This record gives sequence, C-alpha cells and structure tokens, in this order.
Amino acid sequence: MKTITIIFRHSPHGKANSREALDFALLSASFEQIVSVIFVDDGVLNLLPNQMPSKIGCRDFISTFKALSLYDIEDVFVCETSLVSMGLTTQDCFIDVEALSNEQIKQRLKKADEVLVY
Amino acid sequence: MSKILIQVNRPAYGYANSYQALDFAKAAVEQGHEIIKVFFYQDGVLSTSSLNSPASDEFHLTKAWADFGIANNVPLVNCVSAALRRGVLSEIEARENQQQHWNLTAPFVMGGLGELVTGIEQADRVISF
Repeated sequence: MKTITIIFRHSPHGKANSREALDFALLSASFEQIVSVIFVDDGVLNLLPNQMPSKIGCRDFISTFKALSLYDIEDVFVCETSLVSMGLTTQDCFIDVEALSNEQIKQRLKKADEVLVY
Repeated sequence: MSKILIQVNRPAYGYANSYQALDFAKAAVEQGHEIIKVFFYQDGVLSTSSLNSPASDEFHLTKAWADFGIANNVPLVNCVSAALRRGVLSEIEARENQQQHWNLTAPFVMGGLGELVTGIEQADRVISF
C-alpha cells in the first residue's frame, strides 16, 4: 500500500488529462492505495457545477467526481492561490474540497510516496 | 539499486517525452537499476502503434521501445481503455470490436490501469514522462 497524491492541473475540457486522472484516482483507491487529490492551476475548473460536456461530444466524467467519497478518497484539496486567481471560493465547488496554501500543498507532497501529475 | 516504473503519457511523434523516457530507461538499466514495467497511458499509447512509420532515415521510436523491452525483459504495457479510445488495438480487441486491422503487436501488451497501480506499489521510484 502506498500513499499516492494525484494532481489535476488541466482544465476539464479540451484535453483528456482530467478524465484520465480521475480514472487513475478511482482505480488506485479500489486497489487499496491511500489516495489524495489536489486541484491546481486550471485544474480547479473541474470543480465547477453545471457543466455539460455532452455539448462538446464528451462523456460527462465531471459528475463522477462525486464518486471520490464512495471510493474512500476523503483527502480532496484545492490550491487556494489558483482558486483566488479565478475569483472562486470552495463554496463554488460542487464537491467538498479543502483549500490549501502553497506551503500546505508542499507539505502534502512531501508526505506522499508517489505524486502523479495529470 | 532501485526498482523503477516508467509511465509514458505522450505519443511517439510530436512530443519528446517518449524518447526521453526511453533514454532514461536505457541509462537506468546501464547503471544497474531494474525497470519493472513501462506503462503507456494517455497519449502514451500512441507510442506503441505498430503503424507508426517514420521515414527510413528517422529514428523509429516504437521499434526502439520494442527492442529495449525484449533486450532487457521489461514488460511494455498499454492501458487498454486509453488505447482503444485512440485506435490502438491488439488482435484480440480488433476481433471483439469487429475491426479488420490491429496495430498492437508483441512485445507490447494490453493491461488495465490496475497494472499501473500494482507496478507503483512494487516500485521504489515512479517516473512519468
């Protein structure tokens, strides 16, 4: 068992990074790893509600973020600096997330066995 | 000496990542480290297509990966769902999907994302390209 931190750093649409990061997060958790996820940079846009990916020919993987807690992924964090830069707060996010400062993110990354950036 | 898992996320052509991953893998083996698995995910599956056909005077990255895998007994594993979405199919998936062609051949194999996770569990180090 390893402590795996998965970083979402790209916007949800226009590229498949976030969808494939989410697949990896859920799969890792189902393989009994200790998984935490952090949304940074444009990755915070994954957390906004009312998205309609089907309008651009994509599967609605966004709603699957609600499954994080079902897979016992409780450590769901968002970069406070990235949120603020987009005029957002955790109140704007459709799942429960905790905002972390850059220093707190650094500490989290230090504690992880592996960090995978998508 | 470390057990290393390499994740490749970019195609054979258009990005340097896959070439750099191979270079890293060769250097690691030369220095006595063990590459326990190379896992192709995201656009990395496009690094494995046997239809990649560079000009004769250009480096054939897909072939170089295959040669490396065989010479060093390193499993070269594609994420099957990432591969299927991008049109990379082995003979088995081609049959299942009623396709007349396939473009994944040995030593590359298909596997699940679970192979990435179990590889990460076994590895001392994980490097993504």
